[in-house]
Amino acid sequence: MHDVNTLAWIILLLPLLVAASILFGLKKMPGLSALLSTGSVLITLVCSILLFSATGKAVPVTWISIFEFKVNIGLLVGGDKDPLAKGMMFIVTFIGTLVHIFSLGYMKDDDGKARYFAGLSIFMFSMTGIVLADNLVMMFIFWELVGVSSYILIGHWYNKDSAADAAKKAFLTNRIGDFGFMIGILLVWVLTKQIEFAKFTPEIVANAAKSPLFDIAIIAIFCGAIGKSAQVPLHVWLPDAMEGPTPVSALIHAATMVAAGVFMLARVSALIGASELAATVILWTGAITALVAALMALQQNDIKRILAYSTLSQLGYMVMAQGIAGQGADAGMFHLYTHAFFKALLFLGAGAIIFGCHHEQNIWKMGGLRKKMPFTFWTFAIGTAALIAVPGTSGFFSKEGILHAAHAAGHDFPWVIGLIVAFLTPFYMTRLFIVTFLGKSRTENADHAKEVPQIMFVPLVILAVLALFSAYKPIAKFLQAKGYAHAPEIDPTFGWSLFGLIAGVGLAIWIYKGREKERINIPLFANKFYIDEIYNGLIAIFQDAIAGLLDFIDRFVIDPVVARFPAMTAFTAGSFFRLFQVGNLQGYTFLFGAGVVALIWFLLF
Amino acid sequence: MPVYYLEIIVVVLGLVMLMADAFVKLEDKRNIAWFAVLVLSVVFLLLFKVSWPESTEGSPFWKFYDAEKGSRGFSLFFKGIAVLTTIIVLIMSAEFRGVLLKYTAKPEDGAHPQSGLSEFFTLPVFACAGLMWMASANNLASIFVSLEAVTITFYILVAYMRRNVGSLEAGVKYLILGALSTGFLVYGFTWLFGVTGTMDLAGIKEQLALDSVNVTAALFAFALIIVALGFKVGAAPFQNWIPDVYQGAPTPITAFLSVASKAAGFIVLLRISGCFFGSGDLSEKVGAVFVVLAILTLLFGNLAALPQTNFKRLLAYSSIAHAGFLLMALASPITLVADGKEPPLLDTSIGVIAFYLGAYLLMTLLAFLVMTAVRNQQEDDSLEGYAGLAKRSPFLAFSLLVSMASLAGVPLTAGFFGKFFVFKLAIQNGACGWLIAAGVIGAAAGFYYYFKVIASMFWNAPAEGNDGPIPVSMPAKVVMVLLIIAIFAVGIVPNLILGLIK
Repeated sequence: MHDVNTLAWIILLLPLLVAASILFGLKKMPGLSALLSTGSVLITLVCSILLFSATGKAVPVTWISIFEFKVNIGLLVGGDKDPLAKGMMFIVTFIGTLVHIFSLGYMKDDDGKARYFAGLSIFMFSMTGIVLADNLVMMFIFWELVGVSSYILIGHWYNKDSAADAAKKAFLTNRIGDFGFMIGILLVWVLTKQIEFAKFTPEIVANAAKSPLFDIAIIAIFCGAIGKSAQVPLHVWLPDAMEGPTPVSALIHAATMVAAGVFMLARVSALIGASELAATVILWTGAITALVAALMALQQNDIKRILAYSTLSQLGYMVMAQGIAGQGADAGMFHLYTHAFFKALLFLGAGAIIFGCHHEQNIWKMGGLRKKMPFTFWTFAIGTAALIAVPGTSGFFSKEGILHAAHAAGHDFPWVIGLIVAFLTPFYMTRLFIVTFLGKSRTENADHAKEVPQIMFVPLVILAVLALFSAYKPIAKFLQAKGYAHAPEIDPTFGWSLFGLIAGVGLAIWIYKGREKERINIPLFANKFYIDEIYNGLIAIFQDAIAGLLDFIDRFVIDPVVARFPAMTAFTAGSFFRLFQVGNLQGYTFLFGAGVVALIWFLLF
Repeated sequence: MPVYYLEIIVVVLGLVMLMADAFVKLEDKRNIAWFAVLVLSVVFLLLFKVSWPESTEGSPFWKFYDAEKGSRGFSLFFKGIAVLTTIIVLIMSAEFRGVLLKYTAKPEDGAHPQSGLSEFFTLPVFACAGLMWMASANNLASIFVSLEAVTITFYILVAYMRRNVGSLEAGVKYLILGALSTGFLVYGFTWLFGVTGTMDLAGIKEQLALDSVNVTAALFAFALIIVALGFKVGAAPFQNWIPDVYQGAPTPITAFLSVASKAAGFIVLLRISGCFFGSGDLSEKVGAVFVVLAILTLLFGNLAALPQTNFKRLLAYSSIAHAGFLLMALASPITLVADGKEPPLLDTSIGVIAFYLGAYLLMTLLAFLVMTAVRNQQEDDSLEGYAGLAKRSPFLAFSLLVSMASLAGVPLTAGFFGKFFVFKLAIQNGACGWLIAAGVIGAAAGFYYYFKVIASMFWNAPAEGNDGPIPVSMPAKVVMVLLIIAIFAVGIVPNLILGLIK
């Protein structure tokens, strides 16, 4: 069992098997489906823990080889050289397990329970595929599968128009990024003739980097991350995706799927390092996303949306880190790792609140939940502390890491943006926290809120512990994280971010303590910079115009020339050929004889 | 176990089945078929266990029954195709019994109500033995005898529904045209023997490669042989029997003809053309003949299928079309690797053809299984009967959808990789542009007529009075599910089939 190959294949295939058996056989048995799905993810978790100490190498299977283009189904968890996959695999399976357990309670009475758990299993399959992929093509396939499974999960309540629309939006927005990713993969292949991560050696990369196309290739690959990790300008799908069940939000939109983009960038960091232009684009995209998302979060009222925007903002940090030369990629992965725990905690906490408040999501209709849901209150508080980077919590160390790296690499302006975000985050999170938990209950739903069932506590507690301590050496080292806690250096980064934290929390307390409704009103932020509206406008103008043009071409050029004419020719030819099928034996014999004569003539004369 | 035991087991099985019918009192004669399915499944498993003697030098037997060392895997693979097809055909026949008995048995004579059924199960088993032997035949005599063993069995089977005019007519047409082609085959073999002075293929290959060979006479022999084998595999211009015979024959026999008979025809074609490709002077002409035949077959099969309204006839044209793709692979001769190393399987005609046939078996048999089930409910096989199938039986409609998609070559199905490898081989070996163009036209037309069936199943409403659900027996259902899984599995991991060959 302690063999990398076996473990990796189990992790990859078990969820698929479960999903298939639920979809094809157990659909009518939701209870069993849920248990099976949860059991399978538990097994994969155990496997991924065993993976840390496993030896050996995963054996790739050749999938297709076409001329020089060879694709393996390879599993990249090769030994010590690659802690990336092991750590990521742990996060994915771990968060996955907790979300499954939480869902057992959350989705208890849902009509589509079997479908839901099948969806989760498909998602786990796709996500582990991304983590294990040893080449870009395989990663891309699973990348798309993640897109599909998130579509299924976001649209779980497909009877609700908003959920169906959100699922569609998520899928289409991701497709835009994925298209870039695909072009990027093809370009990289053209330039290097390689698609395997291990084959991107410095010489090959340096050789490829001579081509002017190289920068474009890397930026195109980055497009995939923009879509999946919801960076500006493709971030619009993530807040809407909150229409899905809350555990899904915790799984997909906090810890795993959105982190896939960052993971992918870390995987191709060898390529990014060779392209200064691409690195700069990545750095700035991340920084801008971090800032813009934090600003949007200031004025949201839906508890899940606030968390969604904060996710965007934190992902901005991670992506930004990928664009920093040197320690950046590691710092980004470290933040991904700590963030996975505390953001999953916050989302599950939000799920507990929503569950307790009878599906109320507006924070202004809550209030006073501290007494009603003490347990949720404390765990949520811990999650918040980690997110706003209270010194000593895991979030603090990883965030410092990124800001340090930016400072050290001399990216002053992104560094300043990072610090501003470090002020905004405490502000909006404190706002959320005060309005939700403190003060008096403002509606009946909140007044009647009850603590959630015990099965939903388990994940909350485990995650709370990790949110606090996951950055400390023993845990971090065991999980092969890319960094761990150390005594804070007293330097400008530390000083300013501490100041930002105190200022943010203080300001939020001053503004929101004891308030019944929103005091400040900034329509620009509340309306998310009107980006959705702008997109709608652009789409209305361009898409309609293009569609009109294409329609014209289709009708008057393509249809007659490419479709009708060949179709008619083919049909005529077919009917002509049918004439040979005279149906009587004499005719056939004659044609047969004619064929013989023709053949002999052809061969001999 | 020595490899030739397999054929012996199958022949004995056939004899046992005949005797069981005559001497054992059976209420339900389908039991004979189940017995055969069981034994053949064991034979199929035994295929993985067979062995050859260390040395086959000197023994006359191995000059009559063997394959070249390098292609023994292929001959086992083709035996596997034969056994698997027979198993499925038997299951299909059991499903088809209702229709069959209507045209064979006459219960009022006091005979067994299922009389005639067990011979219908037994004959395919004998044909199977012949097909397996053909996969190992390496001598003109053994090729001829095994080929005829199969063909004569088919004459009977095609005309089996003797009270049905269509079946009888098909039988007569097949018999006369088949006899004609056999005549050409024997005549061609005789000339080949005359040119080379030997009957076994290895010797023929050596002789043809000599400078002293009479090129004209050799080509004449080749022309005659190609006429006969072209007839067997359904290559234009010798294809004209196919639509009529396929339509008239009992459906399971049509399936058998279109898969196993075609596969056997191709292995013989590969063997014999291999002898000619060995010689520089001959190979050019031989290659050119295959190119011409492939182009004609591709165009004829695919384009003539477009206006079809009868599903069975449509599949007949589809079978011609697939013969075209297989010929296309044959027309792209084997790349000779300079350092004497074996080229990768998929760079050889035989590798691609084996893969294609493996995929073709899965999807064609699936289509015929669906057809058998539907035929139980209606009088003929017209496409109209498939309208609204999705409402009448979602399972059958889905099966047919998978089969049609795979026959058309939609990615993620086995059929896609079949076509893909054929095109890849052709391009790799610098095939002529016209051939590739014909292949592209054929593949494109294929999408039209296969998807016509799908559209009709899913978009049209069932015809009045013909809209009840369609029952499917358990064994047929199981086989269909397995075939669907196999189609997808091969479509995702094509190496599965290649692994079997090795």
